[in-house]
Amino acid sequence: MSGAGGLLPQGASYGGLVSTVADPLMLRPAGRRYWIAFGVTFVMTLGFVGCIAWLFIKGIGIFGNNTTIVWGFPIANYVWWVGIGNAGTLISSMLLLTRQPWRAAINRFAEAMTLFAVSIAGLFPILHLGRPYLAYWLAPYPNTMQLWPQWRSALVWDFWAILAYLLFSIMFFTLGLLPDLATLRDRAETRAGQVVYGALAMGWRGSARHWALHDSVYRAMAAMAVPLVVSVHSVVGMDFAAGLMPGWQESIFPPYFVVGALFSGFAMVVLLAALMRRGFGLESVLTTRHFESMAKVILAASIVMGLSYLTEWFMSWYAGERAERTFLIHQLTGDDAALYWSMLACNVLAPHVLWFTRARRSVAILIVVSLLVNVGMWMERILIIWDTLSHDYLPSMWRPWYATIWDWAVLAGSLGFFAFMFMCFARLLPVVAMHDLSRLLYRQRGGA
Amino acid sequence: MAQIFPRYANTLARAVLLGAAVLLVGGLGLLIAMPYTSHATRQDIVIEQPIQFSHEHHVGGLGVACRYCHTSVEQSRFAGIPPTHTCMTCHSQIWTNAAILAPVRRSLAENAPIHWQRVHVLPDYVFFDHSVHVTNGVGCSTCHGAIDTMPQVRQVAPLTMGWCLDCHRNPAPNLRPASEIYDMDWKPPADQAERGPALLAHYGIKPEHLTDCSRCHR
Amino acid sequence: MTDAPSLTRRQAALGLLASAVSLSACGKPAEEIVPYVEQPERIVPGVPLRFATSLALNGYGRGVIVSSIEGRPTKVEGNAGHPASLGSTDAFAEAAVLSLYDPDRSRAVREGTRIASWDGFLTALRPRLRRFEATGGEGLRLLTGHVTSPTLLRLMGQVQARYPAMRWHGYEPIGDSNARAGAVLAFGRPLASLAQLDRAVVVLALDADPLGPGPDQIRHARGFAAHRTARWENKAALSRFYAAEPVLTATGAKADHRLAATPTLVRDLAIALASRLGSGRPAPVLPPEAQRFLDAAAADLQSRPGEALVLVGEWQPPEVHALAHWINARLGAPVEHIEPVGPAEPPAPLDALIEALAAKQVDTLVVLGANPAYDASAGFAQALGGSGAFSVHFGPYHDETAALCRWHLPESHPLEDWGDLRATDGTASLAQPLILPLYNTRSAPWLLGALLGTDEATAHAAVRDTWAAQRPPETFEAWWRQVLHDGVVADSAAPRVTPPPSALPDLAPPVAPAELTLVLRPDPSVWDGCFANNAWLQECPKPLTRQVWGNAAMLSPEDARRRKLSNGDVVRLALGGRQIDAPVLVRPGTAPGVVALTLGYGRRRAGAIGDGLGADAYALRSPDAPWIMAGLTMEGTGGRTNLLFEQPDRRLEGEARALFPTVRADELARGESRPPVWPPSLNPDRVSDTHAWAMVIDTSLCIGCNACVIACQSENNVPVVGPDEVARGREMHWLRIDTYDLGPPEDPRPGFQPVPCMHCEHAPCEPVCPVEASIHDAEGLNVQVYNRCIGTRFCQANCPYKVRRFNWFGYADGQEYANQGAPVLAAQRNPEVTVRARGVMEKCTYCTQRISAARRSAEREGREIGAREVVTACQSACPSQAITFGDLKHPDSPITALRREPQHYALLGHLGTRPRTTYLAAVRNPNPAAEEGGS
Repeated sequence: MSGAGGLLPQGASYGGLVSTVADPLMLRPAGRRYWIAFGVTFVMTLGFVGCIAWLFIKGIGIFGNNTTIVWGFPIANYVWWVGIGNAGTLISSMLLLTRQPWRAAINRFAEAMTLFAVSIAGLFPILHLGRPYLAYWLAPYPNTMQLWPQWRSALVWDFWAILAYLLFSIMFFTLGLLPDLATLRDRAETRAGQVVYGALAMGWRGSARHWALHDSVYRAMAAMAVPLVVSVHSVVGMDFAAGLMPGWQESIFPPYFVVGALFSGFAMVVLLAALMRRGFGLESVLTTRHFESMAKVILAASIVMGLSYLTEWFMSWYAGERAERTFLIHQLTGDDAALYWSMLACNVLAPHVLWFTRARRSVAILIVVSLLVNVGMWMERILIIWDTLSHDYLPSMWRPWYATIWDWAVLAGSLGFFAFMFMCFARLLPVVAMHDLSRLLYRQRGGA
Repeated sequence: MAQIFPRYANTLARAVLLGAAVLLVGGLGLLIAMPYTSHATRQDIVIEQPIQFSHEHHVGGLGVACRYCHTSVEQSRFAGIPPTHTCMTCHSQIWTNAAILAPVRRSLAENAPIHWQRVHVLPDYVFFDHSVHVTNGVGCSTCHGAIDTMPQVRQVAPLTMGWCLDCHRNPAPNLRPASEIYDMDWKPPADQAERGPALLAHYGIKPEHLTDCSRCHR
Repeated sequence: MTDAPSLTRRQAALGLLASAVSLSACGKPAEEIVPYVEQPERIVPGVPLRFATSLALNGYGRGVIVSSIEGRPTKVEGNAGHPASLGSTDAFAEAAVLSLYDPDRSRAVREGTRIASWDGFLTALRPRLRRFEATGGEGLRLLTGHVTSPTLLRLMGQVQARYPAMRWHGYEPIGDSNARAGAVLAFGRPLASLAQLDRAVVVLALDADPLGPGPDQIRHARGFAAHRTARWENKAALSRFYAAEPVLTATGAKADHRLAATPTLVRDLAIALASRLGSGRPAPVLPPEAQRFLDAAAADLQSRPGEALVLVGEWQPPEVHALAHWINARLGAPVEHIEPVGPAEPPAPLDALIEALAAKQVDTLVVLGANPAYDASAGFAQALGGSGAFSVHFGPYHDETAALCRWHLPESHPLEDWGDLRATDGTASLAQPLILPLYNTRSAPWLLGALLGTDEATAHAAVRDTWAAQRPPETFEAWWRQVLHDGVVADSAAPRVTPPPSALPDLAPPVAPAELTLVLRPDPSVWDGCFANNAWLQECPKPLTRQVWGNAAMLSPEDARRRKLSNGDVVRLALGGRQIDAPVLVRPGTAPGVVALTLGYGRRRAGAIGDGLGADAYALRSPDAPWIMAGLTMEGTGGRTNLLFEQPDRRLEGEARALFPTVRADELARGESRPPVWPPSLNPDRVSDTHAWAMVIDTSLCIGCNACVIACQSENNVPVVGPDEVARGREMHWLRIDTYDLGPPEDPRPGFQPVPCMHCEHAPCEPVCPVEASIHDAEGLNVQVYNRCIGTRFCQANCPYKVRRFNWFGYADGQEYANQGAPVLAAQRNPEVTVRARGVMEKCTYCTQRISAARRSAEREGREIGAREVVTACQSACPSQAITFGDLKHPDSPITALRREPQHYALLGHLGTRPRTTYLAAVRNPNPAAEEGGS
């Protein structure tokens, strides 16, 4: 997909593009719909904080976990959020390197999404600890106990992966933001706006030298981003693959988790894109062409997911291990079978509607598919934990698992928190990279 | 349009960035350093006791042997704190009316135990055993310091896990012959480098296993 | 009398407060050291003392040795010198120490509902006693349980002598009336018979459960083990067990051939066997399967004269007992007979008392160690209520009977005062106090003394007098000290008597088989209900069903299917006008047409733990046929309750069958001895230059009695979690006894597989822990460092054996179940073991504190640890000695040989975890002749 056809409105001008993006922030008031949404997400955020407080007071026992199934919602949520967090940086970096013109309009809020998703994901491993106040023991630092973390543990790898990814995303995001902050500074009506945006813009003047430096650094970081993104979710995959449990000890997990992340991540981007488009009247810059491109990625990812599932089943049978086979049978016919099949429907079946151009171009259909994919991916995460832990080697310890109200509350709370942060972002920063758009327009007009 | 920022803004920005970095690093450093301070380890803090018992006077001055009061140090995890009766073996004869001994007499009269304040506090998940240490060449003063010079007992060693491990990793420099365990001013002799390994062999200590978690934690 | 303080004060006086070690005490709070005022002799702070004493079950004594740390009894272990203990314990004995600290124990004398004083009681009693002296005790009634204590019998004799007209009634809910009556039928007088399993090689158990819970369980288990310990080098023939029983029991589970038989069929089998042996009575027609079973059993029995034995359970009617006596006489079976242990002539039955109460002939009733208002037929409560008698209840709890009596007197716990008991074989043993009474309680001798007019009688004096009377005063002191040390009175076993030739009973005409028969049984967790308030026992998974916190009506799968019932459906059981509601538990192995229920549940005044759990089977019990009642009706109520199990899934089918290998005796003989072989591994081998601890568990010896489970719990400060948590699939037991049905539903042939931590050499839990809280030590222990654990639970997620346990809440740390957080319970904690905080993982440690103690004493004394010096709690408890623990590096350690046995296997060994805990496969010794019978 090269060439920028259909990515920009006809007769677009630099000023026009900028004001499409900036005016909602600078000039237009938020409006009732925004404030209602803001209020709702704010309440949900407070709820999230409340749940966490209760969790710390009462203890981890408020979740549905039991002696056999020691992991539950928190870990599933963690994996799910990291997955979503992956897409943003992938989009802006990989698409940048592969010179995909349709990147321009979506990379900004995709990166924002990454930031928020990853910070939420980072919370869950701490929330699920029996003694969360000792989480810092995962960090290597000289201490009076003369003890260090255990480098063989996938959880320590996790710790570093998430930390590195979070810091990187923040830097990548801010770097990309600089020119637009400057634009906002210049367009700001109020003194406060000028000062704040000005301070954040760090004296960006848009000189040729600035642009040159910016580009080289930005591309360099993009190049670093790709392996980082891939490694992050591979490590998450290894949390399970490094285990001994049937359904976990599979070498396919790392790549399969990365694709899964891309899958759910893009689905989430589609949802947000649709929202932005509607909310800020960005129809002109977020065109059907964008959605179509993303739809294709989702379709491709879903096919790879399907293959991964097939491989899993084959290996379970081929491994010749009793527990593996019992596990597979349980997965396909056991207590959670219904969940498993609906997961397959969401992840493998539903996206195939995107073979049709009409479907790819219809935002409504895309929204439905994306929702299904995100739900499906969450179900996959939780099933990876339940199915394996509830049916591993010794039948004597096979147990059912029931989610408690708190499991759901924390999940909902995290969603609310995510939405809340996004609401704030949408009103304070340009949701679309204005300078990238202008550059696209420049290229379109035959510039280099 | 007018300039938003004055000239010094750039300097200010740089200063802020630098300051933030310094604050971050410094703060972490402080947090890491905190547990090593004597404030955290409660070293050299003198704790108010119900009775101003002076080891300096009894041990240093009168030369009362450690085990006269701490009877179980060779058989038990606990060195043992003397029952009131032990005090009274002497103080029924001497200083019978000393005001400072009033709590002891009261304890005996009312058959109510004396509530001493613990000075050397180990966390409850640490199972330290006095007997295996004193019977394997670790003397009192190695951990407790020169008790015979203390009017009020205070904790001289940090008693941190790292401090324990220092010796558990390499006990040889701190080992003494059985005859000198209760010697309060024992200093490693010049040839401790030779004596140490010999004592290790003599006591049959296998240092390579002294750092197993199960040695102190159960 | 306030509650907690009395203890804390005592603790202080008892020396260093090293009691409850708790992780929550992180950081360094101000701590006090409270030395003695006068240090008692022999007490060295931190060094436990061990005293021999004895505990009662059904009035029979079992010798135990109790560890006491700074004056706090913390652990019960077996007394090798005592014939009913032989060094082992059962679940009840192990749990006794928790009952001692039970916060719900009665602490005060009560008159009606208000708190009174001992003197108050005496002043109320005296005028009546004076009157009785005039009337010779007319209207004075004494009600006790089964009494074997020589001292109590002596004192009661004196009371009887003082008040000739007094009447003594005895009632034991789990008595031996059928056996007595049977003996009378056979021998003309009530002889007690002691089966000697250790001398029997062919055993037929007719509705008998020698390996089940009871005063003789340990002795029988040891006898069973004598001929079932299959070892490669001694190719000795194994014994063979046949069992015919309506409900699956431990004996049935271990039997080589088992027949699920209704009570009537069991009776027919006995008659048929007798006629086979020449009784001359017509043999009833048996169903083909039963016929095959009997043919095989009879042939086997006859082929081993002198070593063949037929056992009949107390539950069977007297005539069947009599038949068994006759058969055993014919077979020359290894059975010894003694005069019944206890009073010379049995006390009057409870019914007589009830009549007397109803007829208002009772002026004063003293209830001593009995709870008839709960465990006798409902008649008692009504009669007592209407009688207006001056009723006195003397017992450890303010229970159902206490609530009805005018006076309640709190009784001391057996570990708090002096006493003496006789074992089932008559051996006498002393009970000595391990601790002063925690509350203002007194013991039975005091009460009997009061009846005799002495207000200050002490148990100590009473017991000494009893025994001093039989010895020359000059030697008595030495003798007394010796007995206190041994815990047993030497050569005090009842003399064996040769019974008169046993007569054949004349048999009642066979009753028409009823559609449903109710079968009652003692409960393996709460026995007759007296242990109902013991949280350890309530949460102890019952053998074979693994149910906790309640009982259930057990049905055969056929009946369940026919009536469309499934686990948890509440049914209404009605019998002779009495009825209760109970949840259904479908248990394969139950004979069709039989509904089985255990006693001891549905307590109303047991305490915070035991109240309102399960269904009260006593409500259905009829005094004339206490165990087997035909004519039961059962219909569903539509209600459902959630039965609680610690092992929801008991089937083991298909490939999974390999998890519990079984070997036939002849195959074993053909096997060869070799060290265990492990699959190749990329991990470096663990070469140990010091000790290498390992455990071998012989599944053919394990009878699933749970002694090890409770022993582990009391040794290692393992908290209970309570029914709600169990319902959520959480528990804390470090040691679980996996019970698998290996056969089809009609013949489940369960196998017991105790599963502690495997202490894998290549432990999957270790590399995954991010903070190295799960780590190996040099001696091969897989160590869990609680204070390092942050609770990621990755270790348990990655443990193929799922032996790790997580503190979801502060089960021992501020969020205890019900009254388990009471300060007094802290006194039971083992100070050598950390009490785990909320949010940390824990698991079996091979009793590392015991290893450490041995190592430290060895280091103190400059010697090596002995081959049998370290004994884990589970090992020391095991009645059948199925658990062996030792050092693989020690030349004389038995462990190495066991790991070379042909039937030796490692659970999930193919995973390459190289477990240090390994197993010996269950060896079965089926009768080739009966094989095609499937048996």
